[in-house]
Amino acid sequence: MITGKGITKTFRQRGSMLGAREVPALRGVDFSMEKGGAVSFIGESGCGKTTLGRILAGLESYDSGEIAIDGVPMSSLSHRQRQSHFRRIQLIHQDPYSALNPARTIHQTLDAPLTLRAKQTGRSRSWIDERAEELLGLVGLDPGYVLSRYPHQLSGGMRQRVVIARALTVDPDMLVADEATSMIDVSLRLGILALLKDLRDRLGVSVLFITHDVATARYIGLDGELYVIYRGQVVERGPVETVIADPVHPYTQSLLSAIPVLHGLEVPGAERVTPTEAIDPNRKDTGCLFAPRCPFRTDRCEAETPVLGHDGGTVQEHACFHPRRRSVVATPAVQA
Amino acid sequence: MPVTDKRAPGVRISDLSVVYRTGAGELPAVRGVDLELVPGTITGVVGESGSGKSTLALSMLNAVQPPGRIRSGSVDIDGLGDVVTLGGEDLRKTRGRHVGYVFQAAQNSLNPLKTIGKQLLDLGRSHEVDDLPGLVKEARSLLDRMGLDGARVLDSYQHELSGGMRQRVGIMLALVLNAHVVVLDEPTTALDMITQATILRIIREVHEERGLTTLVITHDLGVVAEIADRLAVMYGGRLVEQGPTREVLGAPRHPYTRGLLQAIPRLVGDIDEARALPGRPPTLGTIPPDGCVFRERCDVRMDVCETGEPPVLTIGPRIVACHTAAGEGEQKETVTTGPTRGEEQA
Repeated sequence: MITGKGITKTFRQRGSMLGAREVPALRGVDFSMEKGGAVSFIGESGCGKTTLGRILAGLESYDSGEIAIDGVPMSSLSHRQRQSHFRRIQLIHQDPYSALNPARTIHQTLDAPLTLRAKQTGRSRSWIDERAEELLGLVGLDPGYVLSRYPHQLSGGMRQRVVIARALTVDPDMLVADEATSMIDVSLRLGILALLKDLRDRLGVSVLFITHDVATARYIGLDGELYVIYRGQVVERGPVETVIADPVHPYTQSLLSAIPVLHGLEVPGAERVTPTEAIDPNRKDTGCLFAPRCPFRTDRCEAETPVLGHDGGTVQEHACFHPRRRSVVATPAVQA
Repeated sequence: MPVTDKRAPGVRISDLSVVYRTGAGELPAVRGVDLELVPGTITGVVGESGSGKSTLALSMLNAVQPPGRIRSGSVDIDGLGDVVTLGGEDLRKTRGRHVGYVFQAAQNSLNPLKTIGKQLLDLGRSHEVDDLPGLVKEARSLLDRMGLDGARVLDSYQHELSGGMRQRVGIMLALVLNAHVVVLDEPTTALDMITQATILRIIREVHEERGLTTLVITHDLGVVAEIADRLAVMYGGRLVEQGPTREVLGAPRHPYTRGLLQAIPRLVGDIDEARALPGRPPTLGTIPPDGCVFRERCDVRMDVCETGEPPVLTIGPRIVACHTAAGEGEQKETVTTGPTRGEEQA
């Protein structure tokens, strides 16, 4: 189990003549995921979802807050001890083309981490080859076909599977998949999503899924949680199906309203929400961060800052003074 | 519903084949494509990587770069003739004046060293526009129309603009010379969801206001579903199905269209019904020379698919290239009328 409490992170831009500009990436985010669980972060680019994923994977520092893995606070550990914890969390990123060394065959790619693993656990040479084949089978690849090939000889979907197999060589507890399907061909995307779900079921590995495509979050598992992040803050959080079917925060509703409707198959939601355009990022942040773009803002939203909670008796947590259910998601058309 | 506009020219792509020269000989990226862009409509071409959709788009400008070349066929634009036969100065003037093109990642196709205004003037001069102040005024009003502060944008460098703003600059540059045929190649890729929705709405509105004939190329079926009147599905260099968007999505006839629809993650419905297509999309080198290009991944494959080219059938407003549809419609050769606009419900 991994938890985060009050995580903040501010990037400082250097090199400007007017001095350093501060860009808050995360403004006090809480996080928790059970072993074998699934959590998805959704939000627009720049909202901080990738930064949070990298912090949870131990790849990025944070300014304040605390991360604990299985109850052990990471700040209490030495750098070395921390590393062994974070090794159990593996990052899979967007671009499988650049994640693999083009000069190495898939066999070589898997051999290096497995050799290290064999040394750590006192296993023999033959175990390495068996394990490589086993892992490739697990991610749905034919070892006989793949092992001797170079990355450029494989399709995008196959490469992403190799990346996942490599992440599994260290027997991780958690995979952080950052836009892991966005560069994969549409017809193959679902295969990668199904694989991540399958790994949860079969290995008990938990999956943190970071995406701008809300619909994909459902396919990691309906038992999962969805975090909607806006400008470094979680604005809505709850069971994935609840947040998608019954969103109460106007930002979540804006995101869901923006998803193209498959006319002919679907009927658009009756109350789609269109926010005003993105605002000047240098504007002072008082009150609700979404208020300047929100069609439903009131004076209170400009003055006070809403806090994530179950205000109004909603199933999910949200950070809005005026939570209201709106039907924004398209519904299946009745077939003639 | 947009009416057919007198300003909007029609475009007829006939039997277009584009090949790329490789070590293994000339390989076809686009094969025997027939597509009519009805004046005043938006046509969406959807396909995965390697389907030939971008090559098809470039053919609209006769801009396929070596080692590629248009081997056969024509792209006939009303008032212009066949652009495939154009060359030199004639061709250069056509681009921009008659056919506007918004490039894939238009965000990155701007010059980082010049303000947008300077680039606009360059465009005007290269097309011998006499009234440059008039051009600037037109550009400003187009940008204002798209929800931007036109004067400020023209004074900006590209790094001062967001992705959504740059995309609108790309659309402005494609329209400012008053082109009435517009090609948009992946107009919303790399944009956020909300920005994408805004850009799609703007494309639709500007299309109607200016009376354009628009071609949108994308890998995202959702984008086409949202804005296109007609949808054409491309696979392995072929158009496998085309027709009114709602009809094609509501009742796909080609197994690839069906599979693609089933493979899209959706917000509603049973997630177990969704499944990825088996196999992988073909690349230039792996497109089978004979038979159906999709047969490797098809769940209704028959023996004839191995060797026989699928018949191109017209079934009402729909055109399908599949053996399983044989006997349902008329063969291509007997068809004289072009595709008609589908009935659109409110």
